[in-house]
Amino acid sequence: MKTITFTVNGNPVTLDVSEDANLLSVLNDDLELAGAKEGCGAGECGACTVIVDGVAVTSCLYPACEADGRVVETVEGLVLESGSLHPLQRTFVDYGAVQCGFCTPGMVMSAKALLDKYPNPNEQEVKVALAGNICRCTGYTQIVEAVLAAAEEMKK
Amino acid sequence: MAAALDYLRPASVAEALSLLSTIEGAQPVAGATDVWVGIRSKKHSPKALVSLKNIPNLRFILPDRETDAYEGRAEGVTGDSGVLLGAATTHGDVEDSAWMKTHFPAVHQACSGVGSRQVRNVATVGGNICNAAPCADSAVGLLLYDATLVIAGPAGERELPLSEFFVGPGETRLGPAEILKEVKVPNPGPRTYAWYWKHTRRKGVELPLLGVGARVTLDADGMVEKARVSLGVCAPMPTRSYEAEKVLEGQKLTAELAAEAGEVAAANALVRDTWRGRGWYRREMVRVLVPRVIKLSGALS
Ligand code: FES
Ligand code: FES
Repeated sequence: MKTITFTVNGNPVTLDVSEDANLLSVLNDDLELAGAKEGCGAGECGACTVIVDGVAVTSCLYPACEADGRVVETVEGLVLESGSLHPLQRTFVDYGAVQCGFCTPGMVMSAKALLDKYPNPNEQEVKVALAGNICRCTGYTQIVEAVLAAAEEMKK
Repeated sequence: MAAALDYLRPASVAEALSLLSTIEGAQPVAGATDVWVGIRSKKHSPKALVSLKNIPNLRFILPDRETDAYEGRAEGVTGDSGVLLGAATTHGDVEDSAWMKTHFPAVHQACSGVGSRQVRNVATVGGNICNAAPCADSAVGLLLYDATLVIAGPAGERELPLSEFFVGPGETRLGPAEILKEVKVPNPGPRTYAWYWKHTRRKGVELPLLGVGARVTLDADGMVEKARVSLGVCAPMPTRSYEAEKVLEGQKLTAELAAEAGEVAAANALVRDTWRGRGWYRREMVRVLVPRVIKLSGALS
């Protein structure tokens, strides 16, 4: 076991993790943050996407020990302090970009990482940023629309 | 129960080297994306992972001062010297570098096509090279520019041309107690054109059926001064097609000459059947893609 300290959604946490644990299992099981999902466990579906030090990563492939000292954001941290939804959450609902919802936390976090860095993406850039997030329900069109709409929203 | 895995995070190259030489079965990792999949699927059981991610000054693109990856070590490096990539530079760093896009388009294309954005944010160029998959995109791109590897080991640093680094699938000339530190790419010179084509069944998040790169440097009279043709998945390792390069060098570049280079590259490619694609198809596509990348590089106009 190794003791690691990192920040999750603004809160510092310290805990013991097994050397072969991935960040996803630490979030899901130890911290009871169930937003990030395990789909494939191999970096292919994006359901486990979280943001580490400002960039989207697949937490199933991210060694938990490597999170030590870093800043992690998960979908649970998106809700604004006022209690209202983050613009991305709002537009995902409004545009029908959520059906079963399994891909949604990962989709939203990939989109957030994109918008944090490039507030003005075009459709192609959104598609590239989300290419690692598989959705079996929506057909993607609504998701891309929702991200572009959120970008507009966030500029206001 | 399998022996427990250890996860170590040295803070310097020297510390990493001493861990690698004292712990048997220790493996250096940077992004660890590929190694982690191997461990999870039990294909692979190293005793310890030595993470290179926390070593300062292993992640930079010099002299591109604009990138996040730049960490202030530009002294003495100018645009004329080519580029120096820290081994822990991620594919995403290269993708975001407008400078790489302008000066080393084939490397930029190769790195931008690896995995998903989430994977590119973590997976490193050094890792892609040391992992030595026959399809390693960044290696196929870098072979075009005569990249040299700077390798650190117990006896100090040594340099090795990338074209001599690979031995077989997953096998390289990196010693067990060595790490790849930097990738040096010389200035390709004026009138250099290059392109990389990753041949896939779908547009993204896919391993290549084939990777094909070409680079030509023309002299002032428009003759091919230097040519490089590199291939992924056409041998047990990323390779150059020396035969195709010979066809091009010293000649006036025309569409016919490019087509001939494609014929020769195809005839000499060591393609094989895999579940991803058949050998005959790969060979046929080398013939088609070599002239296509030469055309896409802009060298023919
Ligand atoms: S669970 Fe991580 S990418 Fe699929
Ligand atoms: S909403 Fe069901 S997988 Fe995307």
